[in-house]
Parts: sequence; structure tokens; C-alpha cells
Amino acid sequence: MTLGLLSQYVFNSLMLGMIYAMVAVGFTLFFGVLDIIKFSHGDVLMVGAFTGLATYLGLEALGVDSALVQLLVMTLVATLSMALLGALIAKYLVLPLRLAPPLNTLLLTLMLGTVLREAVRLFYPQGSNPKPFPRLLPADSISFGSFTLRADSVILLLAGLAAIVAVHLLINRTKLGLAIRAVAQDAETARIMGINFEFIVLLTFAIGSGMAALGGLMNGLYYNEINFGIGLLLGVIGFSAAVVGGLGNIYGAILGGFLFSALQSVGAVTLPALFPGTSTAYKDVFAFAVVIIFMVWRPTGLIAEKKSERV
Amino acid sequence: MNLKRKAVVSLMGLTLAVAAGVAGAKQTVKIVFIGPLTGGVSANGIGGRNSADLAVRLKNEDPKAKYSYELVSYDDECKPNIAVQVATKAAADNSIIAGVTHYCSVTAVATVDTYHKFGLPVVVWGAVLPSITYGNKYAEVHRVNGTMINQNEVAAKFMTGMKYKKWVIIHDTTDYGKGHNQYFSEYLKKAGGQIAGTFGVTADQQDFTTELTKAKELKPDVIYFGGLTPLGVRIRSQMEKLGVNAVFEGTSGIKSDAFVEGLGKQLAEGSLSFIEGAPWEKLPGGLYFAGKYALQKYNEPPEAYGPFAFAAANLIIDAIEKVGPNRKKVTSELGKTKDRDSIVGKITFDDHGQNIVPLITKYVAQDGKWVVWEDSEYGSGKRKLKGQ
Amino acid sequence: MAGVTVFAVLFLHAESQEEVMGLTLGAAAALLLLARFGWNALAAVSFAGHSRTGQAAVLIGVLIIAAVFYDQHFPLLMLASVLLYIVVCLGLNLQFGYAGVLNFAGAAFFGVGCYTAAVLTSHTSLPHLAVVLIGGLMAAGIGSLLILPVLRTHGHYAALVTIAFSILFRVFLEVNDTLGGPQGMKVQGMEILGWKLNDSLAFGEIEISFYANYVVLALVMAAVAFMLVRRLERSWIGLNLDAVRLDETACAAFGIDVARWKITAFTLGNFLTGLAGSVYAMMTGFVAPNSFTFGDSLILVSIVILGGLGNPWGLSVAAAIVLMLPEKLQFIQEYRLLLYAALVILILLFRPGGLMPRQVRSYLPGWKP
Repeated sequence: MTLGLLSQYVFNSLMLGMIYAMVAVGFTLFFGVLDIIKFSHGDVLMVGAFTGLATYLGLEALGVDSALVQLLVMTLVATLSMALLGALIAKYLVLPLRLAPPLNTLLLTLMLGTVLREAVRLFYPQGSNPKPFPRLLPADSISFGSFTLRADSVILLLAGLAAIVAVHLLINRTKLGLAIRAVAQDAETARIMGINFEFIVLLTFAIGSGMAALGGLMNGLYYNEINFGIGLLLGVIGFSAAVVGGLGNIYGAILGGFLFSALQSVGAVTLPALFPGTSTAYKDVFAFAVVIIFMVWRPTGLIAEKKSERV
Repeated sequence: MNLKRKAVVSLMGLTLAVAAGVAGAKQTVKIVFIGPLTGGVSANGIGGRNSADLAVRLKNEDPKAKYSYELVSYDDECKPNIAVQVATKAAADNSIIAGVTHYCSVTAVATVDTYHKFGLPVVVWGAVLPSITYGNKYAEVHRVNGTMINQNEVAAKFMTGMKYKKWVIIHDTTDYGKGHNQYFSEYLKKAGGQIAGTFGVTADQQDFTTELTKAKELKPDVIYFGGLTPLGVRIRSQMEKLGVNAVFEGTSGIKSDAFVEGLGKQLAEGSLSFIEGAPWEKLPGGLYFAGKYALQKYNEPPEAYGPFAFAAANLIIDAIEKVGPNRKKVTSELGKTKDRDSIVGKITFDDHGQNIVPLITKYVAQDGKWVVWEDSEYGSGKRKLKGQ
Repeated sequence: MAGVTVFAVLFLHAESQEEVMGLTLGAAAALLLLARFGWNALAAVSFAGHSRTGQAAVLIGVLIIAAVFYDQHFPLLMLASVLLYIVVCLGLNLQFGYAGVLNFAGAAFFGVGCYTAAVLTSHTSLPHLAVVLIGGLMAAGIGSLLILPVLRTHGHYAALVTIAFSILFRVFLEVNDTLGGPQGMKVQGMEILGWKLNDSLAFGEIEISFYANYVVLALVMAAVAFMLVRRLERSWIGLNLDAVRLDETACAAFGIDVARWKITAFTLGNFLTGLAGSVYAMMTGFVAPNSFTFGDSLILVSIVILGGLGNPWGLSVAAAIVLMLPEKLQFIQEYRLLLYAALVILILLFRPGGLMPRQVRSYLPGWKP
């Protein structure tokens, strides 16, 4: 394998890992504050991407044609509306079930995912077909042998990195972040200390869902195509990444995201080479099998939760 | 309990009254439509449903029709177990006389036994796997569209005729993609083409960069894709991303408006697809169909197989008009179909109920539309495909 | 009981939009009324007091429904499917209702049973009852591959293990050609001691649908599985399983072997699932990977939760609702998945304990906690 080819694989996998990581961060944030898994997360991402697309079409109709303005407005509208959606979901669907078994929340959010998916399919004009996503980033590319580096991919990678760093700063350097961490550590004590529990939960859901919307836009800008089904698999993979990394830990989630995409790439490249005749579709079998084995080795993920068992 | 039962009884009475009111002058005959109305390929299923519905509506407007028709639609979700369930439901319902059934090959294969067992005559409108008709010899099962064998023979010969040499095949791992891979590879080797690599991908995969990076390394002239529209759109647009410079050759599965729309004019340009049947856009019946379809104001386009569903429904309706609403008679009447004109060309069923389509139409995407190759600027030599 | 039977008959019969809506609303209204006047509590008490009679009444009810539809294939197919799904959900109930072992791969184990039946009936001449048994054993056996990761992990981490397995299983079936690939395999009909279950019985003029055979078989299986699960629940084993679910640490302190009980519940549950799977495959005559997706596993989980975690009666009712409602909603065609998901959300919001929450065990008839 030439160096150029290798770097192409690595770059592809980094890009994919970045999208996974952005989904995984959401999962891990929600788990942190409420100890629940919100499975509709992947579908929120999908709705975010569609909101972005609709905004773009609206801007086009209004005659705004500067790519930069379009991009900014799309990001703003998609992120804010998904943040609002996330907070609404938390307020009316997740918080009321706080005292029920965690399995109920899981099922409810799964069903919510179905509702979102089906709603887009049925009510977005021609929603069951794949939609072209506009190319708003410069598409200049440089080739090094068989390695093609495109400007838009690099911008997206950097943007994803910036978003993750921003969330990191928000959580570790601000007062709000302190409150989120306090709720994550011990909701009851946090309440006694005068932290508005519900507000913090809603805020966390808004942040996580906003991240998902960004992930959706990135997905759209990278592949230049979106469809109503992208959320399902991204949700499952994002969840896997968050769990493999260790639930409740942001760095774990990011690590898990990149690990998962690396597993898929390695699977797709090496399996047919090792066993001639195997199809590359085995890569998912490979990735998930490794995840299962991994769980035996690290039952609580790469970066384990810090908790003392109270007896 | 009492209250509930009362409500139910009165409700039953009400429905009976309504039913009695409807059945007036003409006897109502039921036909079933089965296809995927939910899930990833639902665009095609809904297009087919609308087209079959159109056939029924047009007949009902005809004052000379002997019966009034009712279309019952069921969703098979493209899943074999659900398909067997709804097929049993339809087949066991004696008021249903015949069916226009299945887009997904996997559901059609799963249900042919059911139709045979219950004696329900059906006409398959979209599924292309050969063994649906050729796997058994069931009098009840017919198919208006051709099989993937015909399609790929033409595709392979046409492309080698254009002096392309090296292919990379990407196919989805459903029966549809695998079948296409099998038949295309077979005919391509016969025609002297070289296959540099074959990749199987799952039908819900989003990211193909790994496969395409590998494919790029193999430097093919043509990327052949066996699969349906959603995947086709993704692969074509990711080819661009990675700078894979090859002709994109698809199958009947990507010949949809959604493919061109999903990619946009520029990217779709020069993609190829092959489909069984005459180019219905050019036949007088096809224009009639398109016009009537537009009049009904359906929310969704008919998609590539809509005309087949329309033709299948018409075959059934004509058979019922001729021999009356009797399953056995309709079955034998359908079996006798020979040289019948339809909007998809002539229809002749062989002894397996398979339409022996003499014609495969080649399409190329040009300026955001699928154009019949011979009419296109590519066909006339005005534009050139990549590598020509 | 009689009312419920009549309702089931009418519901299976209902075709048109008005009928289905009317019946659904009627049932909901009746349930609300019952709950309003506290009658369901009374019913529960009387049920507990006369559990034998209650169970017999249910059996008779099912048989009456089967008799009403003796020559109609479709309602009988639905009925048999519901009964087999009840067996599966009883298995899942053992796993996470009692022992607290999450399993999001129910459809995968069901699929193991189906595929075992497909392979064995087409390549060997084993007696079909043995095939069913082997189907169960295979599911339990493949499940044992997951025992180590399941034991090592807890809560959401354990959920991931089974989710990963269910996705892996589907992709594997689809990519693998030896098991028919995405096209699936045909399965022969069942034959017990020369009696072919796929042939319709005919007595003179009257022809009984062959699905009636499967209804009887499935009913026997469901009844046996039901009794087994009820007995287990009432016994010291059930107590141990509950203890494992509620607090592993305390359990271990009391000398209960946590691993042992988790393995027991997990394996037994998968065995039941595989058993039902192999019969289901022979009944429908066809298996394909598309039927065993992660989504199908979720449907199984939703049945158990909707019914009321840990309550075999509840899950039986929920299985009937979950299987039949989407089918009866065919008239809204492409909108039915949306409506179904929305309904489940509403139930979870307004009845967090499921339709019939599990009652505290009572060892004495009429005893109230």
C-alpha cells in the first residue's frame, strides 16, 4: 500500500470519526446529567440537516446567494431550532419519565426517533427520496499521488474540532459548565446547593441537540446528500462510540467515535485482503464483534466512570 | 362491558348500512396492490400504488365497464415476513380476485407459494429476480417487467461495444444487487470486459469512501453499480469527492427522478441506466398515462416502475371484464396473454407467466433528465461520455 | 372474559376504517371506565383468587376464536403469530423482567431458531419436533457466546452488547451466501408423526384452515411456557431472580450466586425464543434476514414493556395489540408507522408501568399486601 493511499484511508476515517464523535458527545452529555440514553439523537441530527436544507432553499428563494451568508444562517437556524427541539423533548418526554425504569425512557426515545423519521419522510416534500445538499464550501483540491485532499473536507474537520473544543471549554471553564458537572455528579446535592436542576437538564439537552444539528450539517456538506434514514445507523453507532468510550465522559465519546470509524476502515481494507472473496460489507460485522469483545475487556468503557458502589 | 358491546353492535350495523348503500348498480370487484409503502424504497412503492390506482379510476370512469373496481393496498415493508402476512390476508379474502404485487424481489420470492396455495392470480410489477417466475411453474404468478438477465446482457454488450475495458463493480448485498452482480459479471466476461474489483455493500450504508478509495486505486473505466436509487446517489456523489474519474453505469434501480434530483444536474450528467420494456415516454399509451397521472394530482411521481404497475392492473381488469370475477378463470385468461399492447410495449407471457420482453431501453442522464440513449446528444455523438 | 373474546373476534373481523377505529376507541373507553371505577383492581383480585379458572377461560377463549374463524386463513395466521410472540416475550420477560438482564437481540435469537429450522428441514430428515427442540437449543447455545460480555457489563453497557449482536447478526446473514443471503431460505411445513400441518383438514363439506393446526400447536407452546414462567416466578427461583435484578451487591452478600441466576435466565429465555422461532419459520414457510433487524428486536422489547415489565398476562395482551394494531392500521397505509410510534409514546407517558403493571406476588388466594 502506498503512502498516498494510506493517508487517504486515514483521512476518510478521521472525517467519519468526527461525525460519529459529534453524535457520541450528545449521548454522553445526556447520560451525564440524567443517566438516560436518548435514542432519538441520531434522528434529531437528521432533522437538523433537513432544517438546514430548508433554510438554504428559503434563502435561495429570497435571493440571498452569498455562500458564506447562507452557511452562517443555515448553521444558526439549524442549531438553534434543534437546541429548542432538544429542550422540548427533555421537558415533555424525558423528564416526566424520570422516576420510571430507564428502559421506558429508552423505548420512548426510540419511538420518538421513529416519529421524527416518519414525519420527515411523509411531510417534507418528496421526503422519501434522497435530497441533494448544496455545495457551499470551496471544492479546491490538492493531490499527492493517490491522496486527494479537498479544501471542504479540511474545513469541515476543523469546524468539527472547533465545536468539540467549544463544548469542552463551556463545560470546564464556565459557571454553567460547573453547574452541569455538579448535576452530573450528584443531582440531589446540586439542588441543595441552589442549582436549578430542570434548567440545567434542559440546557444540556439543548447543547447536545445543537451539536447534533451541527453534525447533521457536516454530514450534508460532506456527502452532499441527505435522506430521512441517516439518523438510525448514526444513532446506533454514536451510542456505541459513547459506550465504548465510557458513558458520561466527553473525551471517551470522542475517542470512541474515532475508534469506531477506524475499526470500520480497518475491517473494510484488511478483511478482503486476509480472506480473499469476503465482501467489504463484513466490516460492520467486524466492527461490532470487536465492540462486543472490547466490552469483555473494559466493561465500563475506555475511560471508566468514576463512581463508588454504595451498598 | 355492556356499553362497549352496544357501541360495537350499533357500529357494525352502521357499516353494514353504508356497505349496502355503495353496492348499487354494478357489482364491485376488488383488486389488491402490494408494495413497499413505508421504509427506504417507499417512493417506488407509492408510485406503483398510485399508478395501479390510476388504472382502476380510469376504468371506473368508463361507463361501458361491466364491474366497478376497488383497489385494496397493502404495505409489504419490503420484508418477506410482512409480505407473507399480507399476501395471506389478500389471498384468503375471497372478495379479492387478483393482485398487482411486489416491488422488492425478496418479498415476491417469499410469497409466490402463498399465491399458488390459495389460487390468487397475481401480476408482479417491479421485482426483477429471475426465480420469481422461473423458480416454479405456478399458473397464478405472472410478471409484466423483464428479469435482470435481459437487462444485464444488453448492458454488458453495449458498454464493451463502446470500447470500455476495465470495470469495478459495486453492488448492494440484497438479492437485487447480488443478482445484478452475478448476471452482469457473467455477460461482461463473455463480452470481453475485465473486472478489476467487486465490492458488496449493505443497503443502508452511508459512507463509501473506503470502498471508493480502493476502487480508485484500480483505475477503472467504468463503475458499475447494482442497487437502488438512495445508494446510487451516495456512491456517485462520493466518487466526485474522492476524484474517481469513471463512467457511472447503473441498473434499472437508479432510473428514477429521485436519482437525478438527489445528485443535481451536474453530477448526474452522463450516468447510464438500463430498463426492461419499451421507452414508455415515446409510446402513445405512455403519453396518455403520463397525462392522466398528472390530472389525478397525486403527491408523488410514478417512478420507473409505475407504468408497469399500471399495465399490470390493466391486464387484470381486462381479464376480469372478459371472463368475470372468478379467480380460476382470470388465472387462465392471464396465462393466454399474447402480443397485448400496453404502455410498456407488447406483453406476451411464456409458460412460466414471464413477459418475454424483446426490448431493453438504454437511458443516459442529460441536463437533469433521463433521456433515451438513441435520442440523446450522447447517442448522436454531440456529447461524449468520460474516456471516449 | 366472554366480552374480551367477543371483542377479539370482532377486531379480527374488522376490515374497514370505521370498524377498526370504532373498536379501538371502544376498547380504550371500556378500559378507562374500568379503571375509573376501580373495577380492574377487583378483576385482578378475583383473577388472583381464581387463577385456574382464569387460565382455563383464556384457553377456551382462544379456542373459541379459532373455531369462529375455522376456515379463514388470515385471522388464524395472526392468532398463531400472536401466540408464538407470546412465547418469545415470555422468554424476554424472564431475562429483563425478572433477572434484569437486558436483551436487545430478541429478534436475532428468534432468527437463530428460524434459520435452524430452515437448514434442518431442507438438508436432513430429522423429525420436526426434534428440529423445533434443536432450534431452541441453538438459540440458547449462540446466546451463551454472549454470556461473558453480558455478565461483565451492567445497564447501558450490557444493552450495547446485545444491540451490537443484533446488528452484527443481521449483516452477517445478509452477506453470507451459504444461508441464502438476503434472499433467505424456504422452509418446509411441519410434520408430526406423519401428520402434515400444512394440509388443511377436511370433514366432508367443512374445510378447516391449515393454520388452525398451528394455532393449536402454538397455543400448547404458549400455555406450557406461560405455566413454566408463572411457576418460576412464584418459586424460590423467581425470588432469587428478582433479588438479582433489584440489588446485585445485596444479593451477593446474602449468598445468592448472581452469575448463576443471570445465566439461567438468559439461556432459558433464549431457548424459548428459539423454540418459537423454529415453529414460526415452518408456519410462514420462508425466512430472510430482513425479518430479524434491530427494529424487530425493539418491537419485542416494546411488547414486554408495554404489557408491564414482569407481568406475563400483560405481555400477552400487549403482544396481541402490538402485532394486530399495525396490521389493522393498513388502511392508513404509509402513515401507520408514524401513528403506531406516537401511540406507544402516549402509553409510556400516561401509563409508565405499562398496561398491566406487575402485582406483588401473592402466595395466598385473596391476600392483599
